[in-house]
Amino acid sequence: MRPDGVVLRAQGLTKQYRRVLAVDGVDITVGTGERVALLGPNGAGKTTTLLMLLGVVTPDHGWVEIAGHRLPRERSAAAANVGFAAGYLPLPERLRVSEFLRMFGHLYGLVDPEPQIRLGLERFRITELADAMGNELSSGQRTLVGIIKATLHRPRLLILDEPTASLDPDVALRVRTGLADLCAADGTALLVTSHDMVEVERLCQRVVFISSGRVVADGAPAAVAASFGRDDLEGVFLHLASQPREK
Amino acid sequence: MSATARRIRVLAVARRHAYVLQRAPQRWFDVVFWPVVDALLFGSLGVYFSRQSSIGRAGVGLLLAGILLFHVVFQAEISLATGFMEETWSRNLLNLLVTPLTEVEYVAGVVLFGLAKLAIGVGTVALAAWALFSFNVTDLGFALVPLVAILLVVGWSVGLVVIALILRVGQGAEILAWGLLAMVMPLSGIFYPVNALPSGLQPVARALPTTHVFAAARRVLQGHPLPWGQVGVAALGAAVLLAASCLFLVRMLALFRARGYISRHT
Repeated sequence: MRPDGVVLRAQGLTKQYRRVLAVDGVDITVGTGERVALLGPNGAGKTTTLLMLLGVVTPDHGWVEIAGHRLPRERSAAAANVGFAAGYLPLPERLRVSEFLRMFGHLYGLVDPEPQIRLGLERFRITELADAMGNELSSGQRTLVGIIKATLHRPRLLILDEPTASLDPDVALRVRTGLADLCAADGTALLVTSHDMVEVERLCQRVVFISSGRVVADGAPAAVAASFGRDDLEGVFLHLASQPREK
Repeated sequence: MSATARRIRVLAVARRHAYVLQRAPQRWFDVVFWPVVDALLFGSLGVYFSRQSSIGRAGVGLLLAGILLFHVVFQAEISLATGFMEETWSRNLLNLLVTPLTEVEYVAGVVLFGLAKLAIGVGTVALAAWALFSFNVTDLGFALVPLVAILLVVGWSVGLVVIALILRVGQGAEILAWGLLAMVMPLSGIFYPVNALPSGLQPVARALPTTHVFAAARRVLQGHPLPWGQVGVAALGAAVLLAASCLFLVRMLALFRARGYISRHT
């Protein structure tokens, strides 16, 4: 059941890069506290869609509204309600973890971010990393710090791009547990991309499949798998990945 | 957005760059090393020429005042441009773009920290000029205030242009952080009057606000009152340059978002 209230609403998102139509009329809605996965093969248009939702890329057509704030006019107000982390983003080299988190706490408007920093480090069990330099962290540790950074201001919507890519099972479990805890504690909605279908089935209530820049399925994981005549999301993913990409 | 949140964000950006300067020894080259080298080079040149010709000791002062004032433009520009480049080098741009931080707040934060760097850089030139050649920059008196203010505006404007070009063409444009001022330096006549330039370049030089600032500084050093007319022309030129730079940056940022150039920095 979809919770009451909508935190993210996007309609008709379209983006063309030179000769490639990356995203073609995507509609996405995420309810308050809802956990949604945005799935699809490489090149399906997931990251471009996320970047449009975040206001970093301007759509050619369509519109985005976050917590009632329309982009791009109210981007700053909308951003105050969103957290974003990506597995591929490094931490700045010349900052300690605590300094990095403090800086982003302030950028999100927190006068005193220390309690939230402590809570985040404890939630993801990395309190010992507070004084480490950004370039001393493993990729898993960077991911955890990135997620803490994205949740310092207790956003209404957390957007994660490949948060568990190349993580070992222990760290991936810590990410999942931490996110589930966060969503339960703060009622944070989640929009996540991932290639790990098992993880998606454990974490998300709803999945949106994109293929060739279009939404081809939107529903509960079991219902989506059934609609494609597959046993699970992995089967749906492999089916879509085997389809030739439309130009 | 509350004024407190805005102030906190501006200070956060400034503090972030303070950490970088503190932990990156190579950044001190721009702030301390080059100022000392320039003071030594142009001071010595002035001493040599003063001994060879009739211009006397005043020539040393003209050269040192020129290089000192040039460092105001240089430090203002380089702190803004390298501040932004630090975000591209550390692939931090996407992290910043998804926060509530606005473009104006970001620039204000970098400029704020840049003022501290400017004080160190220009202070170093002034100290070196005084210690090595007994040149006291305060001989310019009150005239320093409007002249430095105009040069700051020009430096920030050039810095905004460099940021806009990096957004448009990528990190290949970084060389312009140093290259653009290398072009402005000779055209502005920082050591000589405009009529010393090749005639074809003189109209270009007169269009630059910096040219009028350096000319005004020379007048004061030669014992004349500050030529307010020339200062007014320079101030007007600087204001036009700043407005044009802001418009250019806004346009390039829109293009950056429209064409998805963030993928170059992730």
